[in-house]
Amino acid sequence: MRPKSNRSLLFVEKHYLLLLAPLLIFVAAIAIYPLFFSFYISFFKYRLTDPNQTRTFLGIAHYILAIHDKTVITAIRNTLVFVAGTVVIELLLGLGLALLFAGEGRWMRALRSWLIIPMALPSLVVGLVWKSLYNVDFGVIPYYFKQFGITMGRGPLGEIKWAMPSVILIDIWQWTPLVMIIFLAGLKSLPHDPYEAARVDGANRWQSFWHITLPLLKPSILIVLLLRTMQGFKVFDIIYATTSGGPGTATTVLNFHIYTVGMVFFKMGYAAALANILLIIVAALAILYIIVLERQQI
Amino acid sequence: MSSAMHTSSIERAIRALLITLAVLFFMLPIFWLLTTAFKFGRDAFAIPPKWIFFDFTLKNFQDIWTSTETPRYLLNSIIVSIGATTLSLLLGVPAGYAIARSKSALINASSYFFLLLLMIPPIAMLIPFYLVMRNLHLLGSYAALITLDAIFDAAFVVWMMRSYFQDVPQEMEEAALVDGASPLGAFMRIALPLSLPGIVASALYCIIFSWNDFLFALMLTSPKTKTIPLGIMASFSSVEISWGKMAAMSLIAIIPALIIALFLNRYFVQGMTMGSTKG
Amino acid sequence: MKQRNYLVMLLIISILFVGLLAACNAPASPTTQPPKGEAPAAQPTEKPPAAPKPAEKPFAGTELTLASMTDQYVTAFKYLIPKFEEETGIKVTLDELGYVDLYQKLTADFVAHTGNYDLMTMDIVWSGEYAQNKYTLPLDDLMARDKDQLQMDDIMPVAWTLGEWDGKHWAYPLAGYANVLNYRKDVLSEAGLEPPKTQEQLHEYAKKLTKPDEDFYGIALLGAKGPAVAQDYMVWVQQYGSSILDADGNVAINTPKNVEILKAFGDLFQYAPPGATDYWWDQRETAFRSGKVAMMEGWSIARAGYENPEISSVVGKVAIALAPVAEGVEPKYGFGGWGIGINADSKNAEAAWEFIKWLSSPEIQKEWIRHDGAPIRRSTLEDPDLNQEYPWFPILLEAFDKGDGDYRPRIPQYSIIQDALGTTVNAYLVGEMGAQEALDQAQAQVEETMK
Repeated sequence: MRPKSNRSLLFVEKHYLLLLAPLLIFVAAIAIYPLFFSFYISFFKYRLTDPNQTRTFLGIAHYILAIHDKTVITAIRNTLVFVAGTVVIELLLGLGLALLFAGEGRWMRALRSWLIIPMALPSLVVGLVWKSLYNVDFGVIPYYFKQFGITMGRGPLGEIKWAMPSVILIDIWQWTPLVMIIFLAGLKSLPHDPYEAARVDGANRWQSFWHITLPLLKPSILIVLLLRTMQGFKVFDIIYATTSGGPGTATTVLNFHIYTVGMVFFKMGYAAALANILLIIVAALAILYIIVLERQQI
Repeated sequence: MSSAMHTSSIERAIRALLITLAVLFFMLPIFWLLTTAFKFGRDAFAIPPKWIFFDFTLKNFQDIWTSTETPRYLLNSIIVSIGATTLSLLLGVPAGYAIARSKSALINASSYFFLLLLMIPPIAMLIPFYLVMRNLHLLGSYAALITLDAIFDAAFVVWMMRSYFQDVPQEMEEAALVDGASPLGAFMRIALPLSLPGIVASALYCIIFSWNDFLFALMLTSPKTKTIPLGIMASFSSVEISWGKMAAMSLIAIIPALIIALFLNRYFVQGMTMGSTKG
Repeated sequence: MKQRNYLVMLLIISILFVGLLAACNAPASPTTQPPKGEAPAAQPTEKPPAAPKPAEKPFAGTELTLASMTDQYVTAFKYLIPKFEEETGIKVTLDELGYVDLYQKLTADFVAHTGNYDLMTMDIVWSGEYAQNKYTLPLDDLMARDKDQLQMDDIMPVAWTLGEWDGKHWAYPLAGYANVLNYRKDVLSEAGLEPPKTQEQLHEYAKKLTKPDEDFYGIALLGAKGPAVAQDYMVWVQQYGSSILDADGNVAINTPKNVEILKAFGDLFQYAPPGATDYWWDQRETAFRSGKVAMMEGWSIARAGYENPEISSVVGKVAIALAPVAEGVEPKYGFGGWGIGINADSKNAEAAWEFIKWLSSPEIQKEWIRHDGAPIRRSTLEDPDLNQEYPWFPILLEAFDKGDGDYRPRIPQYSIIQDALGTTVNAYLVGEMGAQEALDQAQAQVEETMK
């Protein structure tokens, strides 16, 4: 089947390298170089708004400052809460939705195509829409809660203890359909035989779900975890549109804090240091996921 | 899957209720956005809310069309989306093919490199990229925004197309190779036409990604290259809550999303789930 | 068969985009630059002789980009710019930006020297920072050269704080705002109250007028994290006779007096709509206009809008008074607003200066006011016609005469102070921090950043 001699194998691989090369060069120039630059600049005090544009070498002072910076610690905690909250709830809700919408009727298919609209929308728009729905004095949601006798105080986005759950809900609204679709694909590819066998053995539906469906869905679950965790660490637009990290620092995620430090106050050195910390957290998780995924495939 | 085997009528009722609730939860915000775009300000924040009966108006659209730079925002969004999509397909599809077909461990390992790239939080890339673009005097140009979008798009395309090409039968390509065709020729003449659906799926993902991007555009555009999401922010005023204008602008911004979700959803779903069944 | 379907899909998408492109190209044509050289436009003196221009239009064909806050006066810009274009042949592109985005975009433009914007509206509080970094062009030479045309004696003294720093002018006065008390005549008279003269009365009345059961509140305030809450707090600092800076001009946020004021400011939120800790300017204005609150301290520029039935439910029911100060404090009134500056990197400084001169001339100022602009000239404020249309102008004049443009310190570090207060004061209001803790943290943050 494959080309016979070693020489021709080399010849073929060379062509593959040729096909890969343009992208590699592009990525090296556009992504890798800036990332190294980011590493380098994080050792300097570098404020773009400084009229003299001086760079003072600080060593690892920015990193030490970061661990003692209360806002940074809060931001890291908020980021982790956001990621954990969205991933877990979306996973469960998405699985439920997939089971609910698994039918193949015309209606089901139409409904499913409606349900995927949220994930195609710009997150900024999603954030703004929900911000207006949440508005405590003019918004729809607090109004209906009030009709049921529940007053929302300063509103879902205004109360410290409610702001983060409210922001998480927005993310759930936008991305649960994606989780649903991944699970739908997973459910579709399940084999029939184990269920038949289970039925013969007298298992009820719950038992067969627990002992057969869930284990077989493991690859889908892993993919959901991977995708949603990584996207959770990228959250920015929703925070920007709704709370600007408030009230207080209740929804300040690391992304938003880095944006403020770097792009509003142009403290590039410190922002780069914070970005690198974020990068390390994400990379560690990503590598962990990749290892698990690799194992899974074997 | 066979969950609806022996369904009692109670169970069917609960199921219908849950489906209704889910559809309401996911659709009402969109409905709210659609109607607000056609409302006067006072109806937009009327208490109790006016869901269906309100004075219909096109005023918001007239406002954004005549008095702001909406057409330019639209044009810029189209330029950036098409530019970034084209660039990332040109770079990503061949690379995906190479990774799918190559036997070299090094080339195969590079797919994880692209996966990692895909996971980088945008802000971590944006800060240094901004400084580099500043030194190159490229801030505010289409090129800056397109290249940065294309990094994330292309990394996705590689991953997506790799798993797509792995599914395309290889016999014809191998026959061609034996007949003396070069791998390049086999790719161009045989693999590429067969993988069109995968390319469409990738392209849709790229278009949506670039069209919806806000953070990069926020930092890298000039007044002449602003894209639609920035236009939405400009529709806010400091003197009154301007939900109407915001909604009208947002409606324009979600046109591609609606088209894709409703008419091309099969490809879009494929792109978003990224060959997830195979891992 | 299937592949043909995909091709059709692709075709449809591309046709759609091309169609949109074509559709958008037509209205956007001014931006795609009409046939003219790039460079000659910048230097009018180098204009090719092929296009002779009448002497009175020396800058015809020049393109200016104006970055403007999305404040009320945007309406006036939109009305006046076409007239200016017709008179001078200069093309002005207006880029509207929200407060935070404007500051951010402008700084980015300045530090990268991209020169995207020729003209920009500059908040009064940015004066020090812009001067220190020389972001904008000092206008003094131009002002000296054209002093015969400018009638500068007529501009209210306090209005010069809209751009003056260290003896030079980094922006020209554009729109002067006084912090005034807006109140509902009907509500106050029904309760048998006169408009409050002191902060103590303001508290008392706000409490008395608040009826949460009827969804009606005493006062509307700014509480949202960010510039909004920081600026509102500083208004109250001024009204209690305190300051953010000490006598030597050092930042002194966490003084015992300021802590007391923060508590008083926080107390007022009991009498504000529940969402007030999340209010930005737009929401505060909407709360007042929708008839939800009895009183609101705010910028005078919004006053005319309350009489516009399209956006206001309180037409004819509103009056304004001088903003109340605490008992025993010498009355001074918060002054704010916007200057208009020329980017130091602009290649079209002369044409931009033409625009400023034209806009600030007394005749155009009347039109500016009538289309939601704000006054800078004494002659405007005393104009009999305008006084007829805007009967509250005498109060404005008094507030301007005793205006204090420095209650928010216009020092180069202002945005750092505002950012620190914007987070911590909001954190205090929502109960995340104590008052002392909030101001201590703000102080520490400012000191840390200024190091």
